[in-house]
Amino acid sequence: MADFLFMVWSKIQAEFSIMHTSTFPVLSALLFFPLIASAVLFFVRGEKNIRTFTLVVGIIQLGLALPLLSFDLNHAGFQFVELKSWVPAWNMQYYLGVDGISILMVLLTVLLLPLCVLCSWSYIGTRVKEFHFCLLLMTSACVGIFVALDFVLFYIFWEAMLIPMYLLIAVWGGPEKRYASIKFFLYTLAGSTLFLAAIVAFFIHTGTFSIPDLMAGTYSFRFQFWAFIAMALAFAIKVPMFPFHTWLPAAHVEAPTAGSVLLASILLKMGTYGFLRFCLPLTPSASEYFAPLMITISIVSIIYGGFVALGQQDMKKLIAYSSVAHMGFVTLGIFVFTVRGVEGALMQMVNHGITTGALFMLVGAIYERSHSREIKDNMGLGKYLPAYMGFFGLFALASLGFPGTNGFVSEALVLIGVFSSNYWLGALAIPGVMLAAAYMLRLGLKLAWGQPTSARTWSDLNMREWTYLAPLAVLVIYLGLGPGLALKTINPSIEKLLHDFETRKGQVVAVEQTNHALQPVEQEERRPSVFAEHEERAVKSEKAQQSPVKLLEASAVQGKWPYLAGLEKKSGIMTRGELP
Amino acid sequence: MIPFQAEDAIHMTVILATLTPLVAFLLIMLGTRARKNLSAGLSLGAIAISFGCSLLLLARLWNVREPLEYSTRWVALNRMEIPFGFLLDPVSLLMLSIVTLICLLVQVYSLGYMAGDPGFSRYYAFMSLFAWAMTSLVLSSSLLQLFIFWELVGLSSYLLIGFWYEKFSATQAGKKAFVMTRAGDVSFLLGLILVLVHVGNPAILEMNSLDSAGLMPSGILTFAALLIFGGIVGKSAQFPLMTWLPDAMEGPTPVSALLHSATMVAAGVYLFARLFPFFALSPTAMGIFLFIGTVSMILASTMAMVARDIKQVWAYSTISQLGFMIMGLAAGGYFAGVFHLTTHAGFKALLFLCSGVFIHTWHTNDIFELGKGGARRLKIPVIALVVAAGALAGLPPFSGFFSKEAILAALALSSHPVWLAAGLLGVFLTAYYAFRVLCILLFPPSAGEEPSGPVGGLAPAPKGSRQEGSSRTFIWPLIILAFLTLLLGFFQGPLQHFLLGEGKALLVDHGEQAGWLPFTALFLSLAGVGLAWAEFGRCGAARLSFVERIPFLRELFSRRWYLDHFYHFFVDRIVDRGFSKLFAQNDNRVIDGSIEAVSRGTLEAGRFLAFLQSGMIQYRLLVSFAVMVLLSLYFFYRDSGGF
Repeated sequence: MADFLFMVWSKIQAEFSIMHTSTFPVLSALLFFPLIASAVLFFVRGEKNIRTFTLVVGIIQLGLALPLLSFDLNHAGFQFVELKSWVPAWNMQYYLGVDGISILMVLLTVLLLPLCVLCSWSYIGTRVKEFHFCLLLMTSACVGIFVALDFVLFYIFWEAMLIPMYLLIAVWGGPEKRYASIKFFLYTLAGSTLFLAAIVAFFIHTGTFSIPDLMAGTYSFRFQFWAFIAMALAFAIKVPMFPFHTWLPAAHVEAPTAGSVLLASILLKMGTYGFLRFCLPLTPSASEYFAPLMITISIVSIIYGGFVALGQQDMKKLIAYSSVAHMGFVTLGIFVFTVRGVEGALMQMVNHGITTGALFMLVGAIYERSHSREIKDNMGLGKYLPAYMGFFGLFALASLGFPGTNGFVSEALVLIGVFSSNYWLGALAIPGVMLAAAYMLRLGLKLAWGQPTSARTWSDLNMREWTYLAPLAVLVIYLGLGPGLALKTINPSIEKLLHDFETRKGQVVAVEQTNHALQPVEQEERRPSVFAEHEERAVKSEKAQQSPVKLLEASAVQGKWPYLAGLEKKSGIMTRGELP
Repeated sequence: MIPFQAEDAIHMTVILATLTPLVAFLLIMLGTRARKNLSAGLSLGAIAISFGCSLLLLARLWNVREPLEYSTRWVALNRMEIPFGFLLDPVSLLMLSIVTLICLLVQVYSLGYMAGDPGFSRYYAFMSLFAWAMTSLVLSSSLLQLFIFWELVGLSSYLLIGFWYEKFSATQAGKKAFVMTRAGDVSFLLGLILVLVHVGNPAILEMNSLDSAGLMPSGILTFAALLIFGGIVGKSAQFPLMTWLPDAMEGPTPVSALLHSATMVAAGVYLFARLFPFFALSPTAMGIFLFIGTVSMILASTMAMVARDIKQVWAYSTISQLGFMIMGLAAGGYFAGVFHLTTHAGFKALLFLCSGVFIHTWHTNDIFELGKGGARRLKIPVIALVVAAGALAGLPPFSGFFSKEAILAALALSSHPVWLAAGLLGVFLTAYYAFRVLCILLFPPSAGEEPSGPVGGLAPAPKGSRQEGSSRTFIWPLIILAFLTLLLGFFQGPLQHFLLGEGKALLVDHGEQAGWLPFTALFLSLAGVGLAWAEFGRCGAARLSFVERIPFLRELFSRRWYLDHFYHFFVDRIVDRGFSKLFAQNDNRVIDGSIEAVSRGTLEAGRFLAFLQSGMIQYRLLVSFAVMVLLSLYFFYRDSGGF
């Protein structure tokens, strides 16, 4: 089967290679199309038209993402790179690109937009235009987060995503929406502020916002220490890791279905994506230094989330706490620094997005019938809504990591990664796996076979509900039975990430031994580098686009002052995939 | 490793054998749920094709010595490769035939048993799913693939146990089965990962080769073997995860027959046999397995001695017989274990199917009521039951006798005589509880006598249902299985040759036996039978077993050695009311509480500052005055060196 798939794959690649070479700005298209569409949306009248319009936009967006399928599987670096000068005075660039770490998340984001429109079709009855406006903005910002390669650009999307999400909860939310939305907003904003501080610190230190450039730099341990803390706090709140997780159940419970889906599938992944994109490459030695702490928190999240989920009466709350546990597996996989672990973590990000998104859609579907999220009001569906229960069973099994579903692949990979680094860590995470079976089974069993209250009168899934659940179900089974393609996609980037991580964390130690890195860098030397060179570099970057200049090898940087290394490397700016 | 070649006849047969039940399942689920006969026909046809294919394979490969492996890469990443395919060797072929045969017979039997049930099509769909999962499990070429189907077998049996979901106890039993086997499966997964990390390839042949001893340090190897054995403990309901199996009786009786004989629980022992060379690399692990098998065997036998529910007696006996197999395997008797697995599949299916006829006719599970109701009048089921019970008790002409002797012979060669003693005790207990049931059923007290159990007041079934009881779909599976039970023992020689080949005896040479052993064992089983007859069978018997005369033992045995109480306590008090509640409250009070305290603090601070800035001149003057006083005090003390 695998061979057949690869044949199909190469065919598709051949189809799109024309678009690939002709530098169609696919990422910009994905980024701006929803924005433009949201502007057009203002002129659309009539609820049904608005929904149809957004759905069509979502489908066109999916079409626009097709060129991404020509992603080069053997390439570890960034692909589909777009680089323009943006604010030369501050050395900000409009810099986009995807690699194996981000491409699956981009695809998932794009896939979810039409599904979210469909699942809100009858759920949202008020302020329909504003709702779809928020959805489109969300999509744009989420795509932006995963493709931005400039720190400022990234931060803009990071914050831009906050507002539509806040509105989704605050306007279309449940009875406690004010509390939940403010909690969500404050939590994430607190994290973002720290993150902004880290960005500024990096800028002052190196004079660039370009993430690939920053990845090639070397930083003193003390700098890494503080930068890691600032970034990791922001990401840990987003993931969310214990003890910063309490905003999640509140937000999930109150958010409308589409909000919950986006929250679970995309927003949470931003935290773990941040760990992979920023913490590991930029602050490798600090990441290693903090790894025991992060692993401890991850394991606590897994077990804590599982136990709390076990006792919930509210379906959404239960799934929210299960998300805490599942995301704990992601961070656990990341911070053991093994290829299998990180692969598993990345797969778990995608899989959790699919599975939990689908579960929230299902909760939304049953909420439309029963107007309650309590388990006890939604029991006995097995007999009257067999298709609904079939889907629910499938996604619940995927969520508890049943073999043959996508959840198993990622969970097993994470466990393999954890085990190859340390047996005891693996043993500690095991109760989480057991708990997942217990709480999902408890939920599924009550829904399917409990004493029905008024399930008799409800109708089974209609065409629309089938339409938005079926693609996710197919993905669950496809990724469960044939994960080869997805793993091949992410593998080179992860190998490279870890390879860089291993070499560069050693570098700092070497630098520290010569006591260079710990010496404070003179202010005067650093400042001019930012302002004096920007014009020159703008010119250079124009040139660099035509002829990619290979960066200095990391080993050449080793003996120099860290900030000098940062400066020198700016003479060449990478285009697609030219990272060392 | 032979790559996939579609033109290969054997390969096509294997694919046909495993995939037809899946096709049937999909067809039934997608299309024919509304049409009962078509669903049943599809399912039966599929399993019949499977059975035919497995017989073909068995005949074709009877003399093939080298295992055949057809596999392709499922996932290939650098430094890790996971194959996916089929492994054909004597154990898997033998097991495949048993599985498909029992599935076929049970499905035929179910035609009558489940007739009229509203979920008839669903039942056959799940049966097909189950058959697919089990056949694929048996033929898996890698441990990971085996694990996937292992879990699928668990899932489909969960669906079948909870088939009558209107019964609350049925859904609870299904859940218990799933969670408890899941506990074992997690351990299995860990062991698998451990192997994967060290060996890099979960192919069964690679694990079984002696290389794995070189790749894994002996401590790790023992640990991995124990973890994988955890999966076996869960699946085969061994100590301490044994309590889910008796509860799993809530499903329809044919399901129990299937679960207990050749599939679900047998999968555990099959895995043991499958990885026997791997496990044998670690003598320490084998010692522990021997211990667990023995404990399970004895505990379950004692539980069976006091149970009143006919299906529960057989459920306990399954646990104890599986324990017996594990004892045999762990003592090094590879053939003995597999042979007992084979014979047990036959007579245990027979026991359940016979009981199913009684239950279907009188609608009760209680042996005393069944006996009172007149179970002895159903001639063919009674004869079949006698044959099966004889095999279970290990009486000579029946298959159980031969396989039990083989296991005892293996135990006799083990390190310590205590294992043999335990095995012989097990023989006695088994014979006793098997014939206890038989005597209660066949020799009900005469009318004037008061039966010791509560009288259910159930009238004898009307004539129509008795007719149904002897209908053809019920009778033919019984007859076939009874003949199998009668004859299988005499095929010990050829089977041994098939499984072990010439001179490739694994660990224990089965040729030599202590001469006194068969006679002792036979004497003990006859003693058990005699005791059962003396207590329950003969005229004017007290119908009270020796165990029931001792209140302490009766309590202990009928409460399953308090294992369930322990689990209940653990789940209810520690997990549900303990950690779960505690953590939820921690979320509400501590984390949210402190966050709210911070936010309230911020608000209050803001209010205070706003209050300061309210612009009233009096306050400003007051503040400036206070500041000046403080400053002057500070300067005064600093200059005078007062601090």
